[in-house]
Amino acid sequence: MHIPDNFLSPPVWAAFDALSVPAVGLMAKRAGRELEEARVPLLGVMGAFVFAAQMINFPVGIGTSGHLVGGALLACTLGPAPAVLVMTAIIALQAFVFQDGGVLALGANVFNMAVAGVLAGYLPFKLWGGGPRRKQAIFAGAFLSVLVSASLALSELLISGVRMPQPVILISVGLFAVSALIEGAITVSVVQVLERLNPRMVQKPVAPSGRAIAVLAGSALVAGTAGFLLASSAPDGIIHIGQQLGLATRAVLHAPLADYELGGFESAWLRRAAAGLAGLILVYGICAAAGRWIGRQRSA
Amino acid sequence: MHHVLLDQWSRQSSPLHARDPRAKIILLGIFLIALATTRPDAGLTLALDAALLFSGILIAGLPAAGLLLRSMAILPFSLTFGLISWAAGDHWRAIGLVEKSYLSTVAVLLTVGTTTLPALMNGLESLGTPRLLVLVAQFLYRYLFVISEQAQHTRVAAACRHGAGRKYRRVRFRAAAGALAVLFTRSYSRAEGIHRAMLARGFAGTFRPLKPLRFHGADALFTIALAGVFILVRIP
Repeated sequence: MHIPDNFLSPPVWAAFDALSVPAVGLMAKRAGRELEEARVPLLGVMGAFVFAAQMINFPVGIGTSGHLVGGALLACTLGPAPAVLVMTAIIALQAFVFQDGGVLALGANVFNMAVAGVLAGYLPFKLWGGGPRRKQAIFAGAFLSVLVSASLALSELLISGVRMPQPVILISVGLFAVSALIEGAITVSVVQVLERLNPRMVQKPVAPSGRAIAVLAGSALVAGTAGFLLASSAPDGIIHIGQQLGLATRAVLHAPLADYELGGFESAWLRRAAAGLAGLILVYGICAAAGRWIGRQRSA
Repeated sequence: MHHVLLDQWSRQSSPLHARDPRAKIILLGIFLIALATTRPDAGLTLALDAALLFSGILIAGLPAAGLLLRSMAILPFSLTFGLISWAAGDHWRAIGLVEKSYLSTVAVLLTVGTTTLPALMNGLESLGTPRLLVLVAQFLYRYLFVISEQAQHTRVAAACRHGAGRKYRRVRFRAAAGALAVLFTRSYSRAEGIHRAMLARGFAGTFRPLKPLRFHGADALFTIALAGVFILVRIP
């Protein structure tokens, strides 16, 4: 599920980089507010745990075995914001140290697996984890977290115009569904043992009373699924939209740099380079602003 | 082990190792963007990019064969997608996917191979990455080997107990879940111990590098010159 560089088209990775930076910044701020200093090493060690947990194989079928992905387990134990942070750190290290996933595609990978994956994994747990359907809620969360990450990754590839014939898409969706089921089973059994070992390690969610959150969550899920179905059923249409969007982004990003379009520089590469650079500066600006803001919040 | 090798590489000395991590991070970004926006049929640009990377490896004194082989880890994935694209008749995209993703991987490895991870993290932090995220990543990297070793022990112990039979899958599944939960609680209590030990040694909320980052004139020159080269190469 780790998308390498050059699989996504520039508008797609730039958009996801711009989306992930404030999302992770926000989660870092929330986590910073919720955590005492003592929990900071805990987050790092839990990240190492998720890495190491992938060595332990779970027998699932004839000759096959699965392993934990971990987003939902982290969300159920550490809480959503710290879990997003830990998963982001894991994905960043995988990109830099293990060459698993690209650096420009980091925003997309972080969004798929750390932001959307963890939050989708936490949602059912938050809604029903406190009630009698706790086990089912944990299962549903883990199932959703893998499926949402995978669907997002597939849709991004399709929007970027990577050719995937219908059978390939169907097979990959099937495989992802199976691994989502495995993730659900593993997460439920691990959480059950954890609760026996030390009940304080698992979060005790209080279901939100308002119906707003449920509606919001439901609509987000429906929108996500609909988007994916649309992407997989009409890839050409999506590519078209993608191109349109790409042009739009380029135009928007290009506008402030219009002065540079002098004489011989009116070539496509400069426009693209300018858009890329502008995007980079924009992302960096958001990143720096978010960082400073968080810093101020923490010291306040 | 892969990361141990990277650690060894990044602790050597060369003109590239000596540069400020921020310069290398910025240049990596510019290079990757230039590469990502290169058309797959722009043969000259891609050849020049490859030549630049190769000379970078030579200047850094890293084992070229080792680094180029290591970058091939990307190939199973990119070749699969490349073949699918090729079969769908999109030949240039297929070629572009494979060659550009390979070059990107080499560029990332060259950067990480010439920058120690703490320096890289410090660079990322001073470029605006949230401090908490950087701290978590640093802890993660420090304890990766410790926890992995524990997982290895657990795995060996489990294999000794129940062999490789296909029967009793349910029992083995539950045993694996138990092993994972035990690993979790051990990691948890280890983290508490680590924190107490760090407090005892005077930890005040940040990892302090032995050598504070300093962006010299040479770093600025290096950044501007190479950024210019990357953009010039991108023109044809």
